[in-house]
Amino acid sequence: MAADTGSSSLQLPCVFSPKSRQYLALCAQDGRLRIWNTDSKTLHQEYVPSAHLSATCICIAWGPCRTVKDGPQRKKRKSEAGQAAEKADLLAMGTAAGSVLIYSTAKGALHCTLDGGHSGGVNCVQWHPEDSLLYSASDDTNIIEWDLQTGKARSKWKADRAAVTSLCVSPDGKLLLSAGLIIKMWDLDTKEVYRKFTGHSTAVTTLRFATTRPPDSNGLYFLSGAAHDRLLSVWQVREDGKDKNSVVSFTLTDEPLHVDLVASNSKEEAVRLAVVCKDGQLHLFEHFLNGPCKKPLSPSCTVQMSDTKDSPVPIPLLAAALGAGMQTVLLSYGNHLQPVMEKVEINTAERHVCLTRDVQTSLSLSIETAVSKVKTPVVNAKGRVLVPGLPGHQESITKDINNEQNPLDNMSIAERLREIDLSTVSTDKGALKGTASLQTDNFAVLLVQGLESSDTNILNKVFQTRKEIVIKKTVARLPIPAVLPLVEEVSLFVNHCFCIPLKAVLMVRWLKAVLMHHTSYLASLPDLVTQLGVLYHMIESRVKMFHKLTKLHGKLYLLMTQVGVPTNTVTDVDHTAKLVYEEEALFL
Amino acid sequence: MVEHGDIRVVHRGGSKINSREPVVTNDSRFLLCASGERVKVFSTSTEECVHDLRGHTDLVTGVLLRPTNHLQVYSCSVDGTVRLWDFTDGILIKTYDIGYPVYAIYASANHEGVFFIVTPTQSDNRSELFQLVAVHLPQSGDQLVEAQELSAVLSNVSSNPAATGFGRGGEYIASAKGLHLEVYFFKKQKSYRFSLKEDNKKGGKNTLMCIACHPKDDCIATGHEDGKIRLWRNFNHKKEYTYTTLHWHHNAVSSLRFTPEGTNLLSGGLESVLVQWRYNQESERDFLPRLGSAITHIAVSPDGTLFCTSHSDNKITIIQSCVKVSAVIQGLVNGESVRTDLMVDPRSKSLVLNGKPGHLQFYSLQRDKLLYNLDIVQQEYIHELGLQQFEVVKVAFDAPGNWMATVEERKPKAAEPEINLKLWAFDEQTQSFVLNTTVSAPHEAQITSMCFSQAADGQTSMLVSASEDGHFKAWQLPRSACTEDEGPSWSCDFVGDYRGLAPQCCCFSADGSLLAVSFQEVVTVWSPASWELLTTLSQPPKAIRDLCFGRLGCSKYLMGTTASNLLCCWNLLTCSLEWSTSMDVSLLLSDPLTENMAAFCCQAESTDLFVFKPSEPRPVASLKAVCSGKVTRAVFAPREEMLESCEESSQWLNRSQLYFLTQHMDLMTFTTKAEEDRLAASSKQLFIDDSVAMTPFYLLLGKHRKQENQDSLTRLSAELMPLPRGSLAIKELLQSPAHVLPSTSVLCSMFVESLLVSVADGSEESKHAEEEMESEKEEEDSEGEMESRTPRPEPASPGLQSAESAAPALTKAQLKELRRVKKLDHGWLADLLLS
Repeated sequence: MAADTGSSSLQLPCVFSPKSRQYLALCAQDGRLRIWNTDSKTLHQEYVPSAHLSATCICIAWGPCRTVKDGPQRKKRKSEAGQAAEKADLLAMGTAAGSVLIYSTAKGALHCTLDGGHSGGVNCVQWHPEDSLLYSASDDTNIIEWDLQTGKARSKWKADRAAVTSLCVSPDGKLLLSAGLIIKMWDLDTKEVYRKFTGHSTAVTTLRFATTRPPDSNGLYFLSGAAHDRLLSVWQVREDGKDKNSVVSFTLTDEPLHVDLVASNSKEEAVRLAVVCKDGQLHLFEHFLNGPCKKPLSPSCTVQMSDTKDSPVPIPLLAAALGAGMQTVLLSYGNHLQPVMEKVEINTAERHVCLTRDVQTSLSLSIETAVSKVKTPVVNAKGRVLVPGLPGHQESITKDINNEQNPLDNMSIAERLREIDLSTVSTDKGALKGTASLQTDNFAVLLVQGLESSDTNILNKVFQTRKEIVIKKTVARLPIPAVLPLVEEVSLFVNHCFCIPLKAVLMVRWLKAVLMHHTSYLASLPDLVTQLGVLYHMIESRVKMFHKLTKLHGKLYLLMTQVGVPTNTVTDVDHTAKLVYEEEALFL
Repeated sequence: MVEHGDIRVVHRGGSKINSREPVVTNDSRFLLCASGERVKVFSTSTEECVHDLRGHTDLVTGVLLRPTNHLQVYSCSVDGTVRLWDFTDGILIKTYDIGYPVYAIYASANHEGVFFIVTPTQSDNRSELFQLVAVHLPQSGDQLVEAQELSAVLSNVSSNPAATGFGRGGEYIASAKGLHLEVYFFKKQKSYRFSLKEDNKKGGKNTLMCIACHPKDDCIATGHEDGKIRLWRNFNHKKEYTYTTLHWHHNAVSSLRFTPEGTNLLSGGLESVLVQWRYNQESERDFLPRLGSAITHIAVSPDGTLFCTSHSDNKITIIQSCVKVSAVIQGLVNGESVRTDLMVDPRSKSLVLNGKPGHLQFYSLQRDKLLYNLDIVQQEYIHELGLQQFEVVKVAFDAPGNWMATVEERKPKAAEPEINLKLWAFDEQTQSFVLNTTVSAPHEAQITSMCFSQAADGQTSMLVSASEDGHFKAWQLPRSACTEDEGPSWSCDFVGDYRGLAPQCCCFSADGSLLAVSFQEVVTVWSPASWELLTTLSQPPKAIRDLCFGRLGCSKYLMGTTASNLLCCWNLLTCSLEWSTSMDVSLLLSDPLTENMAAFCCQAESTDLFVFKPSEPRPVASLKAVCSGKVTRAVFAPREEMLESCEESSQWLNRSQLYFLTQHMDLMTFTTKAEEDRLAASSKQLFIDDSVAMTPFYLLLGKHRKQENQDSLTRLSAELMPLPRGSLAIKELLQSPAHVLPSTSVLCSMFVESLLVSVADGSEESKHAEEEMESEKEEEDSEGEMESRTPRPEPASPGLQSAESAAPALTKAQLKELRRVKKLDHGWLADLLLS
């Protein structure tokens, strides 16, 4: 028994808050209680119990949702009105020292301590769904009913010969299940044993009511899971009391750690179950509880998680909570110190689902956002940047002729033959001319070779030339079929080096030369628009500002000349009279 | 009244929390701030809203701790009342009816029964003149008290609450307005007025912005528009006043505050840097930079351990006195306007709109809380006035939430706007958005509208952006990943225009097979598959304002609203106008989950809502006077759980909820009565004793306390018991004159005897104590062994029981006293008499 409790204390408590699943409460290896916000996926609160090392937290239970009080409700002139927001607030923690701590998440502080009741560690705490009562089960074989209004034990009774490891209060609040080895059902009004169920050979770790029907209708079911057991058993509380064996069992791959279940209210409604096992897998079940079922049931879907490395390592799942639809599951995975929460849509048609997640990056994100509340999306080099002029920024002109191009691709043999012809011719030519004249021919040959083999080294070398005449002559001697590849290459170069204007200037010279010498050829091309579309867009986007620049240039030019002119006139004007008419002469 | 059937309009949050200075309670556990028509109580450690003090019917303009009771708080409002609250329980204690709108409230511990308010001089018209008025609180036990005794203190004060403050010990009150500082001394009943020159030589402006008085010293600090801080001293003389100038801020100082001991002065402004000046050593300064946005108010907790700064982006930062940010309370960020429309993120179901500059905010609708800000622009924000910086102006999500498109814009003066279109993919593995494509300058002018195609197959993704440059562009993600190791990226697929007109809105049909783009008064319908212009629809004379395709059964209809107050419905099968009606629709939107459409109509200062199906002439629901002012932003958010309301009038709320933003940036929604009842039924109030334990000391001391309490009475009497005897003997010894005293030998024996405790008495006492202990033990045991819940009758010792039955009126303590008196050894008295 001691060994069992030892193993159960290794399981770190990890519980989602009820109803809206806003928080995940988790007690990690370091004894601290951390509450994570599942919406923003950040650490919400951290609480260090005063004796977190000696009296470690063994179990956690969220209290029923609290309503935010609206104060006196009154009719108001305006549209404001009371909106009852549900908030999970109180959290009960059972410790190894035998005390129960009640923590308030709204205040971020310990609400009260319930102690002096247990002499052994508290294995399980459960809230009463209606009244402010709390039940705790301990190693000292007792169950205590705490009255939270006074903070005192209301009653205490011995429940088992050995440690009590698990508890569960029925949804109507009238029955209590407790288990060590034997599962006992207590009537909470009289504190008397109502039923006993035997079958587990190890300590029961999980108890859950699966239906919400009253016990005398033969429709009350609950399920239990025990340490080292790879199954969950379902028990029926029968009217006649002949409920010796479990009616159904669900098979698992390992000991169940965390169970979430949507109880069924009627026979027509299936019980939905999400079980996280010790090996970090999640099993989903859906079953109609209606009498015994001999065969053990296997999960309808199993979810595993792995990381993105080359040799994938599984990421353990910590807890799972079922959402409104069958597909949506809120998962928490990773390690206990920094779990990652995620709402996943699971395709339940598949029996095995494997999700790959990069835990490392999501971890680093969650730390930073804790206080600043700023999340930075991933921006890496993979993202493409479209600037005006790049293909893709404007509507591609090739689109319309797409349908026609496909047949061209198909009959590429003829095309290829022609290509071969041309290339042989061109090489011959190059060889011939190579002997005749020296430099320019060499360049033309080089260029053709470069274009054919698309060797960037050769092309770079050729494109480096700055001499206008060399470029002109090279282009002039270029064989006709090599013109188009040259144009494409040049526009590609310009696009690639849009950030290096000097290089672009070099390329412009080539382009100019091509247009000067081969316009007639280019004009004769049937698919001119498609071939030169990219080039056209590039030129257009680059020339967009040209108009304004020239305007500015003109204005500046005018200004400059104006500035220059007056100084000249001022200096040049000779104020001395060219002719002086002497009036005195008249008198003479 | 907004009662329509059982649908009500309720406030869901989003109101301003930065309008007034927040207040920190004495124990630094709570923070109170005015938020719209209510006062919110936040926990300083968890950032949670603990209480919501509701009662005011207009904007709350001030919150103030009651100087005589630190568990109570005053709040004043424009509705002309001051209310007194108990903030720990959230209870309204008293309402003082002033009768005039109140703009600020002040009180001092030295002025008991008086508080000071700022009201307009003329109550009827909204004049710019304000006065400071002292209100004498009438002593009355009633809930609603009318305050009659008003006496003006200062006339012509600023309505800004930061411009007035109490001086040392409440001796004087200082108020600043414009270029004047006025100090009123209560003792002398006299005020002094100091003025500054309009401008100094360097052109700095001397206008006073805020004021703070030193708590221990006669010193007033004023903050000025040019960023200077002046410390005024010796101001109880008209002429010989002095001031020193501190200068660090380069923009106006918006808030000043002294720490409670007066050792530090805190100042803040647009720079979003909290500056801490040492009083009397002003050259030493501490800075807390990068607080996010301009500081509007600073508050200091009464014990000086916490500073709070409220910021222009609707945020309150809580700072430890060691100048470290410990918590941030963030409301719905509201800048000047919501430039992006309201959006719902399909993944997190949160509301998305532009938040901090360059960020998108994700806001949880269920919890009225900011989830996070997503940094879209990723550039440093420079806090300076008049600087044009990148802003997120448009955002769009595709239906499954895999893609997000954002448009950021910077519009420098007299230059072309810089626009970037960014496309983000949601990466499952890292659970975050990853930048896929950046398109710089996608359009030459402002983008007016942007939407994703809602193709059902989810494979072909298409985004259409319409711009004022007269084009709309369709961006497409290539279906087959175009090899390479880069993965697919977006590129332009089509550029469309229509007669050189500027497109206003664009909208995809539900199945993604049609695209409607409005060019002024013409609606063009395109086929995205072939980019053919299928048809044009028009309804002159005014431009189209909104466009919406019908959904599900109504997908053959296209709805549009025009600027000339016309709501039109076109049938796309016949390409003709099905019906039109004249109403001034300010906003039209369609519910993505149902056939319903909602139209907000602005009529005479208030907004009506009509919910209708395009196929039916009768509206599904119509709500009159939803709110005052125009509604320009609204969104349908899908519900997590479907409602099962059968009533016709509220059926449209079953699958999704309609949220809208009012003029004052309050987020409102509609609820049905059934929903409220369900909420009320499902949650119960938990009552838990609060005072059980708080500190670790309880673990040491608390265990004994219970026993102590029970034993204390017995022990008290046990201690008291020997005293009368001893004192009697000593008294006799000391008080009788020496010459009448008997011989020392006789006295000695008597005195010593008096000090002795009689044997019988002692044993009796201990026996009784044992008995008590036993009974207690029994009680505990019985509790432990109890199997039944019914509490047993109190087990009591037999002796006690008899006494109880004899004299039930006597208390336990009295009984014990009696018993003890009975058992006292009176032998010594007999001895004395005999001798």
